[in-house]
Amino acid sequence: MPLAPVDSAQGAINVVAFSARREVALLRSRPWDLAMITWVPALACLLLWWIFSAGLPTRLPIGLVDDDHSALSRQLTRFLDATPGLAVAVRYANAAEAERGLRSAEVYAVVRIPGDFTRTVKQGRAAQVTLLHNAQLGTHSGLIQRDVRTVVGTLSAGIEMAARNKRGEPAQTVRVSMEPVRTGMVTLFNASLDYEQFLAAALLPALLHILAMTAGAWSVGRELRDRTVAQWLGAHPTFRQVLGAVAGKLWWSWLGLGLVGTAALVGITWGRGWHPAGSVAWTCLALWVFLALSIAMGALAASATRSLRTALSATGFITAPAFAFGGVGFPILAMPWGAQLWARALPFTHYIRVQMEQLQMGAPLAVSLATPLWMLLASALLLLASTLGLRAAADRPATWGKR
Amino acid sequence: MATFARSWWNTLQAVWADKGVLLLLVIAPVLYGFFYPWPYMQQAVTRVPVAVVDLDHSSLSRQITRFASANPRLDVRWVGGDLHAAQQALWAGEIEGFAVLPQDLKRHVVRGQSAVVTVEGDGAYALLNKAVLYGFAEAVGTVSAGVEIKKLQAAGQGARQAAASRNPVGTQMLPLFNPTEGYGSYVVPAVALLILQQTLLMGAAMLVGTWVEVGQHRASPAQWLGRIAALASVGAMAGLFYFGWEFTVQDFPRGGNPLGALVLLAVYMPAVACLGCLLGVWFADRERSMQVLLLTSLPMAFVSGFSWPSEALPWPLQGLRWLIPSTSASRRRCGSTRWAHHWAMWRVR
Repeated sequence: MPLAPVDSAQGAINVVAFSARREVALLRSRPWDLAMITWVPALACLLLWWIFSAGLPTRLPIGLVDDDHSALSRQLTRFLDATPGLAVAVRYANAAEAERGLRSAEVYAVVRIPGDFTRTVKQGRAAQVTLLHNAQLGTHSGLIQRDVRTVVGTLSAGIEMAARNKRGEPAQTVRVSMEPVRTGMVTLFNASLDYEQFLAAALLPALLHILAMTAGAWSVGRELRDRTVAQWLGAHPTFRQVLGAVAGKLWWSWLGLGLVGTAALVGITWGRGWHPAGSVAWTCLALWVFLALSIAMGALAASATRSLRTALSATGFITAPAFAFGGVGFPILAMPWGAQLWARALPFTHYIRVQMEQLQMGAPLAVSLATPLWMLLASALLLLASTLGLRAAADRPATWGKR
Repeated sequence: MATFARSWWNTLQAVWADKGVLLLLVIAPVLYGFFYPWPYMQQAVTRVPVAVVDLDHSSLSRQITRFASANPRLDVRWVGGDLHAAQQALWAGEIEGFAVLPQDLKRHVVRGQSAVVTVEGDGAYALLNKAVLYGFAEAVGTVSAGVEIKKLQAAGQGARQAAASRNPVGTQMLPLFNPTEGYGSYVVPAVALLILQQTLLMGAAMLVGTWVEVGQHRASPAQWLGRIAALASVGAMAGLFYFGWEFTVQDFPRGGNPLGALVLLAVYMPAVACLGCLLGVWFADRERSMQVLLLTSLPMAFVSGFSWPSEALPWPLQGLRWLIPSTSASRRRCGSTRWAHHWAMWRVR
């Protein structure tokens, strides 16, 4: 289909509109392609949110080996079971049984109360409770360690207080002199360490990042694979014609994923009664820019390699591990310097920092102003680059159709 | 049997001849084997930049600052008297947390009144937050214990008795299966299984999808078994690379039971290859496998139960997750060579 040369604003709009209309017709005839920018992203976001909807895991099963069988050991057991994060699921008679339980992952940890527990405490010596935990499961064992430490600390404090009361110290002074300087732990920003806010909120943009770069690579790469470049761009298109055609085509992916992203962001914050101190609106704007950048990355990968498959491989390499390098689970400053460089080159790292600042840390807007603007500039540059790549490809039909 | 063997061999040749499938089945697992553990090489989070806001300027507050500086978890970047500046530095990402030593800290302690040091960590980043809170808690706890033991001694208790009576029951933590409790040791072995699954799924679906495009996929059951076996063998080679060489060189916890690892691969890889072939027939398009499967790795990682407790999943997901091979596989690979050693220690004690 020949196109009029773009020499006016009206002409530019026509090019964009033609490409956008053509894409609508294509999407209607290809249910898979339409699904990948509409209901698949929506469903995937819903699934991720659902996984973490419990917020904080409760009642993680632990085992117990009580060699003491005393009032004190029973008290400790009651305390453990009463903690919301723990459930004393199994009582093991001996070490061998506990070993089997841990190995088969029936329980994530075993608390062992030694045989001379009460006697040691009565004699005024320090007694030890042992916690064996499955450290291969980091989240589980971290939560269990924290809860067991708190329970044992409570029991220990109770014993000390009772002992001092017996010696005639009044309760009030005891409480102060037991811990002359206390640490008041204030975890700013995500006080309950709620995983729905912490992990799900960070994973949703990571998921959309994968989807957006895939969409960019797919919509441009498929024209090359199917040898339909001439139908899309016209024969020997000018730079401006290609730019308009790229914009008109990619617009739909951006709209679809952006709307899903907005719904996910609003859903996980206001929808769940979480009113972040920072600006949800600015985060949402940053998300749209981030998605535009991801789509532009995919388009560039496709137009530079002229191969849909290679572009998708690049998408996998860049976006799938982006979360691991993003500094959310494991901090960037603890990575080796090479990995730090790679992390800082990835757009996800910069987007998620903005989101953390606004949603979690309640930072003033000034802190997060620059990043989305830089990302906007980067998107524009990548789009220009992929336009150049496509214009070059349009003149060489022999290079189309790579599988 | 001859059909099976011929089909097996033909499929291996097809994998070798197809650059895209070869990249996914052979190159990608090796590449990701180095790439994925890269961020976690150092394992532990140490020397997290923090600040101390000292409003007391006493010998006690300086002692706490010294202990914090000496703590391996913390790197005290600056000590100042300005709370606002600390908050700004936290937002700007210069520090990850700070402690506020209040005015009259020492006066309260000397008078026997209680004093509180406030530690502010950044809950947006869990591991950093933990390092900051624990680091300061250790520093303050050490100073606090020193003050208390001195008081107990003044009241006539011996040093050892004083130490015991201020903490009558302690907890001893024994990490199993991952003795260093490193983050990499926890994430990498389980993610390795996911990489094996995803690359084999995409590779198999790509190969079969290409066959469907030209109508080559129709074949007898024996031929299909040969195809699945061939794809599974390539996947198993990648698996051997992971369990053997990769984990040994990078020293991540690996099964103390090599036979068990072989049995795991012998079951896991055919299951994944089979699923990949089914997806390929369904997609009927060479590149579709990558387009659709790339996004699945994130949700799959979190339903498999290694990074997120399966007890916390909604109940329908607790059942559905077993449809994915990686869920069963990550369940079966607990165990470490050093684990037996810990167990022996526990029994002796």
